Amino acid sequence: MTSGLFHRAEAVGAQLPPLLVAAERVAATVSQGVHGRRRVGPGETFWQYRRYQPGDSTQRIDWRLSARSRHVFLRQTEWEAAQSVWLWRDASSSMDYRSRTSWPTKGDRADLLLLALASLLARGGEHIALLGDDRGPAPGRTALKRMAASLERGSVSDESLPRPAPLPRFATLVIIGDLLAPLEDLAATVAAFARQGVSGHILQVLDPAEETLPFAGRVRFLGTEGEGEALIGRVENVRPAYVAAMAAHRAGVARIARAAGWSFAQHHTARPAEAALLALYLALSIPR
Amino acid sequence: MIGLGPLSFAVPLALAGLLALPALWWLLRAVPPRPRQVRFPPLRVLLGLSSPDHSVERTPPWLLALRLVAVLCLVLGAAHPLWNAGGPLPGTGPIVLVVDDGWAAGADWPSRQRMMAELTGRAEREGRRVVLVSTAPAPGRSDPPPPRLMDASEARDRITQLAPKPWETRRDAAVEALRGFPGLAAAPPAAIYWLSDGLGQAEGRSVGALAQTLRPLGSIEVRVPEPSASATIVRPPEVAGDTLHVIVQQASPVAAEPIIHAIGEDGRIVGHALARPITGERTAQAALTLPAELRNRLARIELASSDRTAGSVVLLDHRWQRRPVGIAAPRAVGGEVPLLSEIHYLERALEGEREVRRGEVADLLGRELAALVLTDESPVDGDVRQRIERWVTEGGILVRFAGPRLAAAGGRDDALLPVPLRPGDRVLGGALAWREPAKFAPFPTWSPFVGLELPADVEVYRQVLAEPGMNGQAQTWAELDDGTPLVTARGQGDGWLVLFHVSAGPDGSSLPLSGLFMQMLERIVGLGRGVSEVRTDAPPLAPIRVLDGFGNLGPAPSTARPIPAEVFGQNVAGPLHPPGLYGSEGHVRALNLSETLPHPEPIGPMPGGISVAGYGPTPEIDFRPWLLGLALALVLIDLAASLALRGLLPRGMIARPRRIAGAMVAAALTLATVPAWAQQVVADGSAMPQTLVTSLAYLRTGNAELDAVSRVGLRGLSLVVNRRTAVELADPVGVDPATDELAFFPLVYWPAGPTAPMPSEAAMRNLRAYMAGGGTVVIDTGAAGGGAGQGLDLRQLAQALDLPPLVPVYEDHVLGRAYYLLARFPGRFADGTVWVERTGEHVHDGVSRIIAGSNDWASAWALDDELRPLFPVIPGGERQRELAYRFGINLVMYVLTGSYKSDQVHLPAIMERLRR
Repeated sequence: MTSGLFHRAEAVGAQLPPLLVAAERVAATVSQGVHGRRRVGPGETFWQYRRYQPGDSTQRIDWRLSARSRHVFLRQTEWEAAQSVWLWRDASSSMDYRSRTSWPTKGDRADLLLLALASLLARGGEHIALLGDDRGPAPGRTALKRMAASLERGSVSDESLPRPAPLPRFATLVIIGDLLAPLEDLAATVAAFARQGVSGHILQVLDPAEETLPFAGRVRFLGTEGEGEALIGRVENVRPAYVAAMAAHRAGVARIARAAGWSFAQHHTARPAEAALLALYLALSIPR
Repeated sequence: MIGLGPLSFAVPLALAGLLALPALWWLLRAVPPRPRQVRFPPLRVLLGLSSPDHSVERTPPWLLALRLVAVLCLVLGAAHPLWNAGGPLPGTGPIVLVVDDGWAAGADWPSRQRMMAELTGRAEREGRRVVLVSTAPAPGRSDPPPPRLMDASEARDRITQLAPKPWETRRDAAVEALRGFPGLAAAPPAAIYWLSDGLGQAEGRSVGALAQTLRPLGSIEVRVPEPSASATIVRPPEVAGDTLHVIVQQASPVAAEPIIHAIGEDGRIVGHALARPITGERTAQAALTLPAELRNRLARIELASSDRTAGSVVLLDHRWQRRPVGIAAPRAVGGEVPLLSEIHYLERALEGEREVRRGEVADLLGRELAALVLTDESPVDGDVRQRIERWVTEGGILVRFAGPRLAAAGGRDDALLPVPLRPGDRVLGGALAWREPAKFAPFPTWSPFVGLELPADVEVYRQVLAEPGMNGQAQTWAELDDGTPLVTARGQGDGWLVLFHVSAGPDGSSLPLSGLFMQMLERIVGLGRGVSEVRTDAPPLAPIRVLDGFGNLGPAPSTARPIPAEVFGQNVAGPLHPPGLYGSEGHVRALNLSETLPHPEPIGPMPGGISVAGYGPTPEIDFRPWLLGLALALVLIDLAASLALRGLLPRGMIARPRRIAGAMVAAALTLATVPAWAQQVVADGSAMPQTLVTSLAYLRTGNAELDAVSRVGLRGLSLVVNRRTAVELADPVGVDPATDELAFFPLVYWPAGPTAPMPSEAAMRNLRAYMAGGGTVVIDTGAAGGGAGQGLDLRQLAQALDLPPLVPVYEDHVLGRAYYLLARFPGRFADGTVWVERTGEHVHDGVSRIIAGSNDWASAWALDDELRPLFPVIPGGERQRELAYRFGINLVMYVLTGSYKSDQVHLPAIMERLRR
């Protein structure tokens, strides 16, 4: 299972180049990563040789070059820095919904998108972490695999919105979910993160039926998270009102995101995952 | 039980359930179907909408009606409605079923059994017991079984086991036992049903009189079968010449002319005849004319009907077949010269399957004899002469040959000669005679020799002449071309005196050297009656196989006892000795029930107070299973409808109801049309199936019998071809040449027998087109027993069909080599010539467009459903049938493969070359 989701996510992500998150504020919040910063600093890649100066650590003398010349040289590496990205997806039971068996559930699609994004980030050398998981950001495929296993286990929070948590400044947060929670809750959550200086991206994943209400006749609707139930005599009569309400809700979400300087995108499970991934990719890689 | 006209309810209490219907109506209207349930995450958005529509949903009216009908069916079904249940049985005591289960009951036994089962069922519903009385004695006993009171369920078992017995009923004894039955005397009035066989009996034993005596026991109803369903008696046949006269008797006037079948030892039908009504119309007579060789194979004569009884089957034993012939021969004094002795030629001509004895006349007459042959040399003395005369009067056949000795003694008044003879003989041909040896003239029409082929080389040189002015009793059976009689005969009593005016040796004529001699003797001997000897001192005859009540032969039960030889044939068929075959292997005697049965009489009117009814078609109809089944079906429909209303059926089934309904209709139509395909109609456009298979075809002549023979013949051939060769033929198809397309068939068999009509001009045109297109027509002018020269005129056909000149099948023709190497092409007859088109012209791959013959091939190929041959072949033998099949296979191969095998013609030459 794990490997199944993992491979699918890898396949989706493979069509895009490795994602390098635009890190405009690279100072202390950015841990070392593979981003070459065009200056000397801690890193892996060779940058330049420099003559030994008193005060330099003898351990940094490049003995091979020094043995070939009369001077003693130090080997300097390029300063590499990595962005840390926190990912979160809605794992509540409202995500376990699909209106047709030929489509994936919203939760499956959210998992796939999250992991595909994580795969792109890992290939870009960024540090990734699952928000709500107790592990900190880590680079590479190991982190990716750990994240996939964690998703499969469902060991993350079962809430409709991420619980506000202290994040490093200038971290990036990606929220994937149906965002059907009341708008005031969402606004509070976003505000809490934005206060910490976190930049964010919101992706709303919905089933097409949730947009269009394609039912007819006498239907009893049951909530998925204990909201109760609604018996509607003729569903076709309430359809226009419902569509309008959904549009208003979506506009509200977009407004909240804009207010915090975050990006907002919407995705339907009937559409391919690549489109949503590309939107996220663009949103993450464009510096602001 | 309550009733409404013919409809009644066995459990009327259950009808109270109908009261529940209005309550159900109200309940169903009040409780709407449950709404469809959907999990829906954005429920909060829905809840926020203002005033959702909460109108009350009601059960749709059609669903309401469906459920009400289902419950109605359930309630009615529980009430057990019956149609024609006949109301309650009269009386309150037991139900008495008096059943005539003698031989006559076999004619319509199923209806009797149905009636018994119906009455027993009614008794069971009323909780009454049943007394079952059968009027025929049980096997091995002389009295009917005693009556017994039993439950309806036990009675039902007994009824299924009850079968008609192959002997007469003893109604008086059965009724006597019933009257003395204590179980009835003490009980309240019974309902008595007498299921009679419709036959009356002598005074005092008739149904009416006996039923009258049962009146004190309860009400009586007598069931009488329809006159057409009453039993028929087939009497043992009388022999007259080569004809068997069979008397058929019925209790009522013979309406439809019954058909009599003559069955051979192997179960095949060897002949059939219609029985035509004679005196009084209750008696009919059938004349079965059979060739001698077929008559010798007869095993039984029976009514061709499904209503056979033990009285409508006559078993035949050797009395009907054996015709021992005695040749009177003086005790040989010295060495006998075989080729000059008359006796030698007679023995050679008569031997075969027939028993031929030789000896002094007195010794020969000491045993049963069918025919006695006296040669010229046999002396006939006064004492013996009288015995012979007596024997002839009783039915013997005396055959005499006139030679020099008789000629010398001629003129004397010899009572054992059919005609007085002139003294001296007449010599024809020879050195001192003027005249050429004489030839045979065609046989006169009254002669038993009619139909025999005259060989060209039979000549008569020396002849004894009859006195002119022959007396009127004598007949000339054969004469010479100059009109002088050669064979004369005179009937005397039941027998015949036959005189050959030549000797039995080769000195008077070449007749004894020819096959004609044999055939003539055969016919003469066949005139006589058969003989069967039973010596009174023989051991008792044990039963071998006996008839059951339906006229079928089966193994003898242990209750059948041997019959002492001295009483055999003296009215002994009965429960102790059921009719059948008795004796030992090689010496079998038939005991026939119909030999001793009296003429059947109608049952006559019933005395007052006794109701009469038939076994008519008033069976009750039980609606319960139908109603309950309908209720179940409606409930299932309701279930499906409810699921669909609540959206619980898969999406596709709701979205595409039309497609599903269409598929179901298509499936139903497919099922309905399968039988239509099976009929293989060729007319109009429905010939599609024929294009997929290869099958032989025959012309439908419109004569049903002829067409049936063609069909079973070609079916038999197809079967054999499929078995032996790689060809796979489907069932043959009957075609009407005037309307049907023939192009699908490689071969069309045309039974142009004597009964076949000449086809119309349109048919001829179609056939011409078919042949021009490469088809082959097989014309059989001998079809359906016609034999050579009896059918349509081939020459006329050839002109109508625009045929090229035909030639007899020559040696090396491919027809004789296509699969088997054949020199002759026999069918049912062996000696007809087969004509083909002269091939060698390279058209149609050298296949003759026409093959004509007169051997009645289809009859030889014909097999019945059990794959037994239907018609005997003539002269006979399995070899001839096998050759007929081989010809058929060659024929099919020839039309299918063409000249492919004509290379085989050159095979000997090729082999010869290789050997060098």
